[in-house]
Amino acid sequence: MYSNITTAIVCGLKSVCIQVEADVSDGMPVFEMVGFLASEVKEARERVRTALHNCGYKIPAKRITINLSPADVRKSGSGFDLPIAIAVLAALGEIEAGALERVLVLGEISLNGKIQPIHGVLPVVAKAKETGMRRCIIPYGNQAEAELIPGIELWAAEDLKEIVSYLKGRTYQRKRPLLEKSGHTCVPEPDFSEINGQRTVRRACEVAVAGMHNFLMIGPPGSGKTMIARRIPGILPPMAEEEQLEVSEIYSICGMLPQNGGLMKQRPFRTPHHTISPNGLSGGGALPRPGEISLAHKGVLFLDELPEYKKSTLEILRQPMEDKEITLVRQSGTYRYPSDFMLVVAMNPCKCGYYPDRNRCSCKDTEIARYLGRVSKPLLDRIDICAEAPLMRYEELTQKEANESSESIRRRVMAALERQRYRFKGHPIRYNSQILSKDMERYCRLNCTQQKYMKEIYQKMKLSARGYYKILKTARTIADLEDSDLIRDRHLNEAVCYRMQDKKYWE
Amino acid sequence: MEEKQKYQYWMRRIPGIGNKKLKKLVEYCGSAKEVYGLSRGQLEKVPGISAKDAEAICAGRRSFDIEKEAEKFAEEEISMITIEEADFPKRLTYLSDCPYALFYKGQLPPEDERTAAIVGARMCSSYGRAVALELGERLADCKAAVVSGMAAGIDSFGHWGAIKGGGRTYAVLGCGTDICYPRGGRELYGKIQINGGLLSEYLPGTPPAAAQFPARNRLISGLSDVIILVEAKQKSGSLITADFALEQGKEIYAVPGRLDDALSKGCNELIRQGSGIVTSIEELLLELGFLPREKEEKDKITKKSLEKEELLVYSCFDLHPRNLEELVKLTKIPVSVLADLLVRLQTKGLIEEYFKNNYRKK
Repeated sequence: MYSNITTAIVCGLKSVCIQVEADVSDGMPVFEMVGFLASEVKEARERVRTALHNCGYKIPAKRITINLSPADVRKSGSGFDLPIAIAVLAALGEIEAGALERVLVLGEISLNGKIQPIHGVLPVVAKAKETGMRRCIIPYGNQAEAELIPGIELWAAEDLKEIVSYLKGRTYQRKRPLLEKSGHTCVPEPDFSEINGQRTVRRACEVAVAGMHNFLMIGPPGSGKTMIARRIPGILPPMAEEEQLEVSEIYSICGMLPQNGGLMKQRPFRTPHHTISPNGLSGGGALPRPGEISLAHKGVLFLDELPEYKKSTLEILRQPMEDKEITLVRQSGTYRYPSDFMLVVAMNPCKCGYYPDRNRCSCKDTEIARYLGRVSKPLLDRIDICAEAPLMRYEELTQKEANESSESIRRRVMAALERQRYRFKGHPIRYNSQILSKDMERYCRLNCTQQKYMKEIYQKMKLSARGYYKILKTARTIADLEDSDLIRDRHLNEAVCYRMQDKKYWE
Repeated sequence: MEEKQKYQYWMRRIPGIGNKKLKKLVEYCGSAKEVYGLSRGQLEKVPGISAKDAEAICAGRRSFDIEKEAEKFAEEEISMITIEEADFPKRLTYLSDCPYALFYKGQLPPEDERTAAIVGARMCSSYGRAVALELGERLADCKAAVVSGMAAGIDSFGHWGAIKGGGRTYAVLGCGTDICYPRGGRELYGKIQINGGLLSEYLPGTPPAAAQFPARNRLISGLSDVIILVEAKQKSGSLITADFALEQGKEIYAVPGRLDDALSKGCNELIRQGSGIVTSIEELLLELGFLPREKEEKDKITKKSLEKEELLVYSCFDLHPRNLEELVKLTKIPVSVLADLLVRLQTKGLIEEYFKNNYRKK
């Protein structure tokens, strides 16, 4: 007898529906599987056979053939066990074929028939809804995650027998998910009010976020660079529902959704260690998994100790930062992952970390230049704002006076972003940091005296063309923060103050 | 090249014969040319010259083609002067191991020129840099020359100060005068040659070596009337210069630092031992009998052109550098406004940003 059932796998962020066909016919007693299978899918044969046996189903001495189609898509992942098992049962006549119409099944099973949770349930369920499935059968452990997609019926089961009983007509009763999701159990984000002093970096941070400019902090160890970076997601505007879903899908593929099963409500903050490989950053593998840049989608990618990263690793960042997505081409196909993040980097001023405090730093000038020169220049070209985080004195560390909270900074940031949304309506860009040099004249217009002044600055500070545009973009953001349509002199000056480090080292 | 110089050059190049022996030979014979004419037997009779030395001199005579070498030397565009000459710097002849010959580019300090050495740490602080520059400039104002070693840090800034002030400055090198060391000092090297001179007791082409630097320090102190130490750690080459100065009976002044400044430990220690202390450049110049010129004028003019807030920020700058964070604290002006003011002061050329968000008076 023949049976057919639908399941799906995740390819990049897309899901592809896969048909699982089973046929039981006379012949040599074998259990055969075909259809471009990865080794973990091939192993499903043993799991399914044993699980069926252990659940009390008799496998007759017949020829059982499983085909997964379309045959040109490589099948990987552990979600095929359950659909194969059910397809076999249907082919054996245990389940009626009608019960499996427009039903999507996925899950891993263990030898005793228990159904194990798998990765990537969220995008698959979304796909099922999109293709007009009426029901999804999923592992109980993934129930909370799958329920994030409203409008599709879910059957979450703990073991094979239970599923079969539902398919035979028993009514399904929704169970409480493993961990009841609740909107309020999020760990509160760290707040800017916990940071004493460092007013320069606070302000530079605010400007950077308000225009989505990439941001560099230079300072000695222990000056609070990481602390500040951790608080940046908290002053970005809250994520819209679609954004939350987008981010959650990426995390679902990696099996990194929060334990309570809710959506990713907070903006991601990713801080990969500097030993990370290029593939770890970009996403990789024969069937590529999202890398750190995709995990930081809609959030902050923080690279601490920038000069320690391998050059080849950092070069990876260039294209995704421009395109806001990364395209990975493998033998098995082309995969696209979004990577729209704000880059925040931190570094020490020199090898020992204490320059320009000559009492503690005895690095030679050439050593300092060499240390700073280690950083990839193309990457620095994409960073608009730079500020120093100096070492703090004891009194500042222990001061009691209240600091401004993230919430109040966020209000100003959101107002500035709102101005940008209005300005760039109908244009492909969204933030000041994305203004192209050809559009400078349109968005960052200067009057005659300002042009003359900028010419003077350009020559005095030995700026490059790129450096000049960065200043204009930053000035635009500062003006937006002040709710001003015109860029004024003081905005330009402040932007100059946050420009990238000296020409002597970096340009 | 003069005839007698050829012989002097030959004598200076004999390996194994040091300054003291050269001096004895010249005292005994009168000139290098005479030494060249002596037989081995006669050489051995010169007091202080052993049989081995005589052998070396004879060997030098055999292997050395005077004419050819003189031509080669002339190509280097380096001048040479020996103690046989009358215009050899008098100040150096008092040294116990006065070099037999000096090689130089540019000029030698005239006898009547007042000279001061500015020495100190190579990895100096911004404060040290500011003091060295100011000192150099003010000395130039008083028509006193700055002598130093052209090393990175304080030495270089002392030279630069003198050049900025339109004065003269001399560098005593620890390598051949044709070699620019440190390499990064190429610009300064050129400037010193025009505004003074580059001196060395080492033959042209001698690469820098650690052992040569303490020795050249004796020439720095020897050439100077007074030695001013700006910043020196507890173990610093500048303290060697101070030791030589002490031996040579020169005046030593040290710029004091805070107790916990590692970079001023050496200076503070010197002061404790009784050296002079620099409490103000003005007073130092008076004490040395150098006539200072009025300088207040310049400051007044710049201050007039500033707005009130700019002035408030500018007044925070003294010899110490300031970073943005400190200025926020000092002035209580919010960062966004302060950033604007700082850039305005920068464009007016009053301050400079020497490291990200770290500023100092220009």
